[in-house]
Amino acid sequence: MFNDLEAVIAPIETARGLPNAHYIDEATFAQENKAVLFGTWAGLAVGADVPENGDAKPIELLGLPLLLIRDKDGDVRVFQNTCRHRGMILVEEPRKIEGAIRCPYHSWCYSTKGKLVATPHVGGPGMNTHDAVDNDTLGLIEVPSHIWRDVIFVNINGNAAPFEQVHANLIARWSEFDQPMYHGGADSTFQLAAKTNYKLAVENYCESYHLPWVHPGLNSYSRLEDHYNINEPDQYSGQGTYVYRQFEGENGTRFPDFKGLSGKWDEGAEYITVYPNVLLAAQRDHGYAIILEPKSINETLEHVHIYYAAPKVDSTMRVKNTALWKEVFEEDIFVVEGMQRGRYGPGFDGGRFSPAMDGPTHCFHAWVAQRILDHRGSEAVAAE
Amino acid sequence: MLLAAHAAGDLTALTELYAKAASQAETNVARGFYLTQAYIFALEAGDTRAEALAVSLKNQGRL
Repeated sequence: MFNDLEAVIAPIETARGLPNAHYIDEATFAQENKAVLFGTWAGLAVGADVPENGDAKPIELLGLPLLLIRDKDGDVRVFQNTCRHRGMILVEEPRKIEGAIRCPYHSWCYSTKGKLVATPHVGGPGMNTHDAVDNDTLGLIEVPSHIWRDVIFVNINGNAAPFEQVHANLIARWSEFDQPMYHGGADSTFQLAAKTNYKLAVENYCESYHLPWVHPGLNSYSRLEDHYNINEPDQYSGQGTYVYRQFEGENGTRFPDFKGLSGKWDEGAEYITVYPNVLLAAQRDHGYAIILEPKSINETLEHVHIYYAAPKVDSTMRVKNTALWKEVFEEDIFVVEGMQRGRYGPGFDGGRFSPAMDGPTHCFHAWVAQRILDHRGSEAVAAE
Repeated sequence: MLLAAHAAGDLTALTELYAKAASQAETNVARGFYLTQAYIFALEAGDTRAEALAVSLKNQGRL
């Protein structure tokens, strides 16, 4: 298996893609997850999922129980959704925490900042302290998190370098968009379920090679040659276009632009994956974020959120824009599902890449492979 | 009434009922138990009565 990954990080002309096992073998996927989804900054949700102070939402990431919460001061936090007493799940459904998070089992209570604030009857009936139970050391286990473009990224194992450091180049690339962006609300979010490993949704998003075949409607105004590859080895990848066409409502009405953008963005737009599982779009008048939630080795739930430059934009246009994007993303479902099914064919060796067209895809495969190799290396050192 | 409040998750009612039970308790242990119950549900609800209940529990060496 080691040699297989060395082949993935080879130059694109000779490289192969990740072996089938990373898509169909549970043990391989579990090892990969330690290095990739849990070892880097993975997308978990968006800030709009918990819009008000006290809003709490339980989320399971491949069986890991997490609790997303906006604390009483408005800061977004992610905790393990597990009581420090007997390991009970604390919050079962999205809801507002008015005061404290009370465990439904023995009613240990936590503040929205994770502090253990009450341990009823812990010293016997009506006695609410005990010398052996130190509240200061029994707060909820917090997972490092960071918000960028409203996406809540988490580093489950806590070993990654700070998000701003890891993604400094990407943040700088899109610094012109470092300004308020507003979630379009309930009509600007939807989910798509796909029977595929999440990595296949990533690679499909990264490249423009498939556009004329899978999205033929684009051919009339956005040709293959109007796109460029974005390859930043060991960082991120995606695609850009020189002919971004703004959505227009009736009478040619358009969404308001983000402020102060340079001329590059007049007709340019970029679509980049923040590895391992967040798909982003930067466009002059709106953007979106897609969180790929891996439900299992061969099931992915895509959470799509669309953002605008103003807090209120025309609702009719907004709804139509959502429908347009949904149609585009649905066109990709058969591809990502077909690639998943194709990987049950034992003769498939990870596949070859077009050096001209598949740079962003190879960039992603190589990034995954390198994370796994690094993880194996650190485990080997720890075992010595 | 108490069971109904539990079933409904009515935190305000639970706080009131347990606080009332505390005021009518015949033993210190029972009083401490009921006060604790009232305090926890007030705490969960963000009910301002939690502060006074905490003071009562502290005065009794229970918090």
